[in-house]
Amino acid sequence: MTQVSTAYEVYQFMSAKNILVAFTGHFDHLVTTSLLRNIKNKLKDLQSITGIDKKVYNILVESIENISKYSSKNTKHNIAMLLLCKGEKNFTIITGNHVLNKDVPALKERLDKVIKLGQEDLKKLYREQMLSKRTDENSAGLGIIDIAIKSKNQIKYDFKPLNEQTSFYLFQTEINIQK
Amino acid sequence: MDSLIIEATEDSPKIVFDTTSNRFTISGESRPENAGKFYSPVINWIVKFEETLAIRKKEMKDESPLVFVFKLDYFNSTSAKYIMDILLVLKKFVDDGYKVNIEWHYDKRDDDMLDAGNEFSDTVDMKFDFIEY
Repeated sequence: MTQVSTAYEVYQFMSAKNILVAFTGHFDHLVTTSLLRNIKNKLKDLQSITGIDKKVYNILVESIENISKYSSKNTKHNIAMLLLCKGEKNFTIITGNHVLNKDVPALKERLDKVIKLGQEDLKKLYREQMLSKRTDENSAGLGIIDIAIKSKNQIKYDFKPLNEQTSFYLFQTEINIQK
Repeated sequence: MDSLIIEATEDSPKIVFDTTSNRFTISGESRPENAGKFYSPVINWIVKFEETLAIRKKEMKDESPLVFVFKLDYFNSTSAKYIMDILLVLKKFVDDGYKVNIEWHYDKRDDDMLDAGNEFSDTVDMKFDFIEY
């Protein structure tokens, strides 16, 4: 059972790491909508004249939608995570969710392909995907490309193997506060 | 043809396609749970609308432009594909000889929305009027 002292440690950790939002749970459309409503208000409080709040919001929505696109369909493993942190120089968005090990190589390949591209090539790829036939596969790809363009490609990822069937997929985006 | 009006929700945009003023506006936030379900009727409406125009065209000599207004706070990448579909239909309007103006409204702080408009404009090869708010 979680002790009061543990809860205080969680609070201390969150404060030290400047975590604005931490959520774990099942991300369905309703949960996402209420979470986004809450985050939108928080970002509004930051009173940005640079529009960084809009950029963070855009990337956040796309990141959350990626969770559902890539999550293993096994409902037992359908618990995902979202972190939004605000540092002095940047915002960091991290999502985490369970994926099937057999899907990892294809996902890795897609991520690596995007990560190594510069801004112009990303836009080219985005355009190709937008005009291509609509499938679940490429609509998910479009999201990652969109995040890469908007964050100036500050994406990192990791897969933590959990067991023979699943891994925990971490996806991180940094967004510079200064333009 | 009757105007098409769909009220906005927290995750889907407001549609006001006004056939009396020939001003067709999509505004708000677009990340519907099922983008296809939301946008298919909208796109079908525009396709049908052209058919009614084709009939009227014979009677009309001096046409004022059809003005399509995009004033979105946010759209997700799934919606982007449907916006592209709408633009491709509008491109066909132009090919068929109709005068179409596209207004792309964007929050002046939102460079990404301006970039997205430029990207759409280039991709579909149509000139947009960019209007900041």
